[in-house]
Amino acid sequence: MADSESRKVIELGYGGNERLVMNMGPQHPSAHGVFRAILTLEGETVVAVDAVIGYLHRCHEKLGEMLTYVQYPTIASKTDYVAAMTAELAYVTAVEKVASFEVPKRAQYLRVIVAELQRIASHCLWLGTWCLDMGGALGGGATVFLYCIRERELILDLFESLTGARLLYGFHQVGGTRYDIPPGWAQTCRETIALIEQRLDEYEAMLEDNAFFLVRTQGVGVISATLAQEVGVSGPLARGSGIDFDLRRAEPYSSYQDFDFKVPVETAGDCYARYRVRMVEFRESIKIVRQALDGLPEGPISSRPGVKSVGQVRVPKGEGYARVEGARGEIGFYIVADGGPKPYRMKVRGASFSNLAILPHIIPGCKVADVVAIMGSVDPVFGEVDR
Amino acid sequence: MPEAARNGAGFWSDFGRLVRAVGRAMGVTLKNLGRKPVTVHYPDVKRLYPDRFRGILALTYDKETGEENCIGCRLCEYICPPQVIKVEMLKAEKRNFAKVFQLELYACEFCELCVQVCPTDAIIMMKSFDLATADRRELLLDKDRLHAIGLDFEPSWATGNRLRDMQAPPKPAKAPAAKGEAKESTE
Amino acid sequence: MEHLALDALAAFILLNAVIGMVTYVTLLERKFAARMQSRIGPYRVGPHGLLQPIADALKLMMKEDIVPRAADRWVYNLAPIVFLIPCVLIFATIPFAPRLGLADLNIGVLFFLAVSSLEIVGLFMGGWGSNNKYALLSAMRAVNQIISYDLPFVFAALIPVVLAGSLQMSAIVAAQQGLWFVAYPVIGQLGFVAFLVATLAAENRVPFDILEAESELVAGFRVEYSGMKFAIIQLGEYAHMIASSFLGALLFLGGWLGPGSDIPAIGVLWFLLKAMLVFLVVTWVRWSFVRIRVDQILAVSWKLLLPATLGLLLVTAFWVALRGGAGA
Repeated sequence: MADSESRKVIELGYGGNERLVMNMGPQHPSAHGVFRAILTLEGETVVAVDAVIGYLHRCHEKLGEMLTYVQYPTIASKTDYVAAMTAELAYVTAVEKVASFEVPKRAQYLRVIVAELQRIASHCLWLGTWCLDMGGALGGGATVFLYCIRERELILDLFESLTGARLLYGFHQVGGTRYDIPPGWAQTCRETIALIEQRLDEYEAMLEDNAFFLVRTQGVGVISATLAQEVGVSGPLARGSGIDFDLRRAEPYSSYQDFDFKVPVETAGDCYARYRVRMVEFRESIKIVRQALDGLPEGPISSRPGVKSVGQVRVPKGEGYARVEGARGEIGFYIVADGGPKPYRMKVRGASFSNLAILPHIIPGCKVADVVAIMGSVDPVFGEVDR
Repeated sequence: MPEAARNGAGFWSDFGRLVRAVGRAMGVTLKNLGRKPVTVHYPDVKRLYPDRFRGILALTYDKETGEENCIGCRLCEYICPPQVIKVEMLKAEKRNFAKVFQLELYACEFCELCVQVCPTDAIIMMKSFDLATADRRELLLDKDRLHAIGLDFEPSWATGNRLRDMQAPPKPAKAPAAKGEAKESTE
Repeated sequence: MEHLALDALAAFILLNAVIGMVTYVTLLERKFAARMQSRIGPYRVGPHGLLQPIADALKLMMKEDIVPRAADRWVYNLAPIVFLIPCVLIFATIPFAPRLGLADLNIGVLFFLAVSSLEIVGLFMGGWGSNNKYALLSAMRAVNQIISYDLPFVFAALIPVVLAGSLQMSAIVAAQQGLWFVAYPVIGQLGFVAFLVATLAAENRVPFDILEAESELVAGFRVEYSGMKFAIIQLGEYAHMIASSFLGALLFLGGWLGPGSDIPAIGVLWFLLKAMLVFLVVTWVRWSFVRIRVDQILAVSWKLLLPATLGLLLVTAFWVALRGGAGA
């Protein structure tokens, strides 16, 4: 439809009728990763977009068949590399669901703490890069970017003292977690999130009610609720369009039912609505972390002995799908197990893959400058898109 | 942007909002002007490594006897996801050794799984990340290099036994301690 | 004859001073911006980064000069020069002290405004000659924007002219002996703010830098330039920025007036300080806001800034007429 039209235009070159075919290629300062969008412009207005993905395909699903259940969690973090904890959580939850393994309470609370901290860190990166795209590498956008990264570094320091790694952790294992919190970590964590809560007020002061920011985001990239449901977007994209659905509340996993948090929903469906949803999610995640730290029970961190050999975990025959609420939406893993140490088939449902499908519906009709604002508010991570 | 609205009241209130928003944003940047920069002056000043930092890999010697810890069991080789470790066992009378131990550091993903499975705490990670070289061959670590690294830098906290103990605390002897027990499942 | 030689020498000295000042102003901007972002800025090249501009200049001089094969050679190669000349020429009309100026024309402000808007020619030549869609898009946006903002710029600059009753820059400063123009109730402050906004837009500074939006158009019309040509374009941009800061300091902040300004040296110092203040305010704005779209930029200009500056100018003229003529 829109795809075939723009493909014809590409073959003709300057598609006649004053149309310009411009390539926002895989190497682009605001492509959020390797993403190619072939835009057809009439003046400043985008008439058609042809999205090309696949530049980051690294055969995760094949790796899932070749690596065992104890090896794969370290690789699962590489799908959504910006929010690695939730990606690993999705995989181990799926395996535990298929095998009916139990996870001790302390491990569940640790997983919640870590997932919510990761959500805060991921949203920090989202806000920074989005403002960077809209404000320029030499300008106000860079300022907000550096503030957000400064805060994200604090959370990464927390993760570093917990696991030893800053970006790709390997924190989860089938049956629980690999690491327990070191002494003093809970106190540092509390201080860090208190600091971030204050700094959030600063970001909002810079952006909220700011006419420059509002004209760039209000009314831009409107996704209606019906369109969101048809295309299958999830996460803050869906909640910004009025669909009140959050997996942490609808299908609680890993003890989320013990915690009290609000799920923000906005009805406008534009970039500003998605921005507001994520800003509220910041504060709600901080609340959840505090509740989890307060209620952290004693006990083992894994229901299975520590990994001693590569084929240690065997899952009896069966199949199942588990999904978690990642920072970008619903991350799901579908596992078909055949009784051995490796899955027979593993499918990854990446949140950004479905979210990115919204682009051909909302980009035609907007200006070139809006394309970057929309891409930023969709917040794709191409590890999830291309797997 | 408050375009000159037909109704004057709307225009002035919009304008007032804009002025206040501009003032707030510039106030935040001014406040940060007064804050101390968060830059760490690397390489003059090095950041404090946390205890569990996953840095370069190394092989260790036994503290008391001075012998190599590695028994060439190849568990690390089997578990490594990108398969960067190659080990050949050397059989001896009392215990085995590793004849060849090769680690391709340029492909290592620093996941610490090899440390996790090692039964003798032979392979560990050190608190160093200064791994950049101009020659890729320097990143193909052989056994001598790995032992040398083990003596050069400070080791991280994690060793195989410590990790495994943390993940499933040792069961008390015969007491029915329900909380501390690890569930043994079919292997 | 020696009059000509003396003038040529003065021009040479001024040109070098301008270029030196422009390179070090980039360092000032980088360190100021860095401090606002909780970091340090250039630090290692020379003590506290003081040799960084020299390192940058050397680097740009040593880079390979790549000319795209399909580029329009004459237009492409001439564009940086056509861009630079107006930006540097306007410095000739700025007097730095009562009789310390290269050419204190009696139509100084008019000459400044007219010549400074000639940079758009060089800009468009660069965008067109590059044979690059990004550059072309950016050049088209730039022409739109700069033409739209030249009018409010002129009107805002005319407010001090009306208040002083002369286009000659030294006369405008002399008219501020009693009270700086920025201190005049309402018209002074509003005029200064309008001047700053118009300067931001005419210089393509955030929030109006849509033409070089790095995240969309990579580098705008400069994208195909490398090496020394890129350096010349940078030089021209920053020179224009500094010249506008000097103009702002001169028109609104009293130029070289200040305690002890009878001595020309101290006057020059005050002038530099005020110009740097204007520059820092513009930088502060630059690093605090996101940019707005080109159609919104044009809306601001035609629907807001132009009527506002026109209105201010009329009010000023009315007030001056009531006062009984200019130069009070």
